[in-house]
Amino acid sequence: MTTLETHETTAEITLDVRGMTCASCVAHVEGALTDLEGVSAAAVNLGLGTARISYVPGLVAASEMKRAVHEAGYEAQERSQGLDALDRERQARSEEIRRQGRNLVIASAVGMLVMIGTFYDLLGPLRSWIPEWLSYKWVIGLLTTPIVLGPGRQFFTNSWRGLRHGVTDMNLLYATGIGAAYGIAVINTLFPTAGFGGEGATFFESAALLTAFVVLGRWLEALTRGRTSEAIRKLMKLQPKLARVLRGTAEEEIPASEVEVGDLLLVRPGESVAVDGLVEEGYSAVDESMLTGESLPVEKKAGDPVIGGTLNKSGAFKFRATRVGRETALAQIIKLVEDAQASKAPIQKLADWVAGHFILGVHMLAVVVFVFWFFFGYRHYFDPNSSFILSPYRLGEIGVFGFSLLLSVTVLVISCPCAVGLATPSAMMAGTGKAAEHGVLFKGGEAIENTSKLQTLIFDKTGTLTRGEPSVTDVLARSLPPGQAESPWNLRADAVLRFAASAEKNSEHPLGEAIVRGARARGIEILDADHFDSIPGHGVEAAVQGHAVLLGNRRLMSEREIAISDWLGKAERLESDGKTVMFLAVDGRAAGLIAVADTLKEHSGEAIQHLHRLGLEVAMITGDNLRTAQAIARQVGIDRVLAEVLPRDKAEEIKKLQASGRRVAMVGDGVNDAPALAQSDVGMAIGSGTDVAKETGDVILIKDDLRDVVVALEVAKATMRKVKQNLFWAFFYNTLGIPIGAGLLYPVIRLVVSPELAAALMALSSVSVTLNTLLLKRFRPSLRGGQPLPRAAQGAEDPRWAGAPAASD
Amino acid sequence: MEGNSVESEITRRSLSIYLPISITAALLFLIAASVTGDYPTVARAGGAVWVGVLSLIVSMPLITARVKKRIKARETHN
Repeated sequence: MTTLETHETTAEITLDVRGMTCASCVAHVEGALTDLEGVSAAAVNLGLGTARISYVPGLVAASEMKRAVHEAGYEAQERSQGLDALDRERQARSEEIRRQGRNLVIASAVGMLVMIGTFYDLLGPLRSWIPEWLSYKWVIGLLTTPIVLGPGRQFFTNSWRGLRHGVTDMNLLYATGIGAAYGIAVINTLFPTAGFGGEGATFFESAALLTAFVVLGRWLEALTRGRTSEAIRKLMKLQPKLARVLRGTAEEEIPASEVEVGDLLLVRPGESVAVDGLVEEGYSAVDESMLTGESLPVEKKAGDPVIGGTLNKSGAFKFRATRVGRETALAQIIKLVEDAQASKAPIQKLADWVAGHFILGVHMLAVVVFVFWFFFGYRHYFDPNSSFILSPYRLGEIGVFGFSLLLSVTVLVISCPCAVGLATPSAMMAGTGKAAEHGVLFKGGEAIENTSKLQTLIFDKTGTLTRGEPSVTDVLARSLPPGQAESPWNLRADAVLRFAASAEKNSEHPLGEAIVRGARARGIEILDADHFDSIPGHGVEAAVQGHAVLLGNRRLMSEREIAISDWLGKAERLESDGKTVMFLAVDGRAAGLIAVADTLKEHSGEAIQHLHRLGLEVAMITGDNLRTAQAIARQVGIDRVLAEVLPRDKAEEIKKLQASGRRVAMVGDGVNDAPALAQSDVGMAIGSGTDVAKETGDVILIKDDLRDVVVALEVAKATMRKVKQNLFWAFFYNTLGIPIGAGLLYPVIRLVVSPELAAALMALSSVSVTLNTLLLKRFRPSLRGGQPLPRAAQGAEDPRWAGAPAASD
Repeated sequence: MEGNSVESEITRRSLSIYLPISITAALLFLIAASVTGDYPTVARAGGAVWVGVLSLIVSMPLITARVKKRIKARETHN
């Protein structure tokens, strides 16, 4: 059972629901649940076979929900978590595949004999190989009966179960179709003079092949359903089974589920990290691609965090467990992906509503078709020489009732919206899974749909576009001719930085720390200052190797009467780029200047350029001053800047953009920008690491890489494209088939669609949808194509230390 | 037990509405077939049964759902 307290008064529970076959079933189960007092919302996912229910504890119990689902004609049980649930789901799926496979073998093998017998007269020389008695009507009837009562029985029992509770689903369409064809065939065989068309209108082959094709569709659905939730399967397989815990000096192997916070664990090369923690000793490179999408192994040394489920590649290390069980990053990611897949996009709600009402509409249409052909059409248009499409079988002596019934039944079968129920959830599942592979987590189907429709992206500046900490960008010194010796006020750039870093060595000011970091990064030796004094708001003064060093702003230089006029032009140029300039004076004379600025992240420019190419408007919002903001915007290629906006006003700015009709996404760090993320149509929290549960965004980008914004957009667009294609294929056959099935073209072409051809078309519709969805597996983000497959897909190096071994599907 | 009695009331009341509707539809078909043309008896009877079955399938879920809603609303109100 998955129960999650959402706030003080409501809770959530997820049930596994069995027996659902179409979008109509989804509507019925949702209706049965929301009818219960205390249930505030229910979202049923046909692909996963789950119902996620928000309810008020105390007003309604899980047992009542299960009873309501049972009364609606389906089976429900509380959903368990982890590998057990995975194993049970796999087992249930295998059983369904086996059951429908068995049905298919029986229906197709016996159905083939029925076909041979029916078309015996048309087989020419082949007839010498076939016994004539196979063509006797009563033999064909005897062969058809086990098909209808065996593989076809499921449609009758399911429809009866539904009808008893006032529920209609697509089983009813098949049951009425198969039942009518079989019933008329039996009557015409046993009582040929009864007036139903006689021996010329025995539709045994229709009943047999209709059953065979529908069962084929069920078998294909069982095969493909669940494959789209492969992402969760892969993530679950990552969960290690064993952990090597250090107790004193001894090593102990224990189940990973028994590790507690504070335990010290040892990880050897080739083993998986059991839980989240912090490295205490050792050095290694860890493959985190399976969780973050980062293709290169990440170096780990003392103090670095490690994530449970990742694979240690080279060295051994010890780490202290910080998060275990459901708190680990992997468990949070699995929960998030599961929630996203169980949720419903607005387009899916619409499709479910249409499909739910479609079946009743089809039955009404079947009445209209029957009445039309009975009272009018047969008399005016019927031609005994007319035949079925793709069949040499002629209608012959069929009477008015048989002919009208045939068209009515064909309409029922050809209208079945079985593929509609799969069209959206299967694509959503594939899309969220594909995004998770790249470290992009969507919080629901609505987040995907909204992301695909975005027109404007607003980026927070500090910490999102930029690194969020200043660093040295320019060091200017006097240009000394080669060979000329340095003097304290005639220094080269390295010496300027050495003096400045030595003076700032003990400083705690962010600019001072940036200079020290900059010197270290350039391999410059930093000396100890003999004397250090911080001058608040101005800079520092220090004594370095006997020289008086002064580092600070114009005001400091002016107060100490240092001439800096030679440097002012360069300083102003740097400041116009949004940089903070500090002057260095040695022994009372200006020796150089150092510019410090918050720098762009590595891939910011590339990501923004790509967003422009996608036709999106890109803006930047920041509390920083306009000059600095414009400088950053120029570097990165953003043309719209909202500067000097206080954090609390960011949401207002987004509201203004939305009021102008734009669909806006806010990309921020997820904590400081929470109001703006919440106000936007899509909030994207970037660089959250793996602590995904704390994030407020609709889309969580695990890595601190802006290119993942592009990945999120591309996945969302690809997924919605797939949803629309699927809906097209789901409705295409119906739209095309219903008028033909109803006999609209019969007066012209003298051809009718047989019920078995109608069933074949419907099976084709389901197959088109599922195959089309599977194409999404080939998706590669344009900015980082050709990334290697996550290790989960390749298998761990030491299976004992990885998750569950891959089972054959 | 209380739940079962509500369910049976829903079934009973729904049946008392959708069954007459279906039978009426079938009878209307039978009358129309008898009046408008020279149809064989079996075709008239078969057609009436088919129209009745389809009308039952259409009216049954619609009526049951409405009755259920009304009775549940009444139960909640009480």
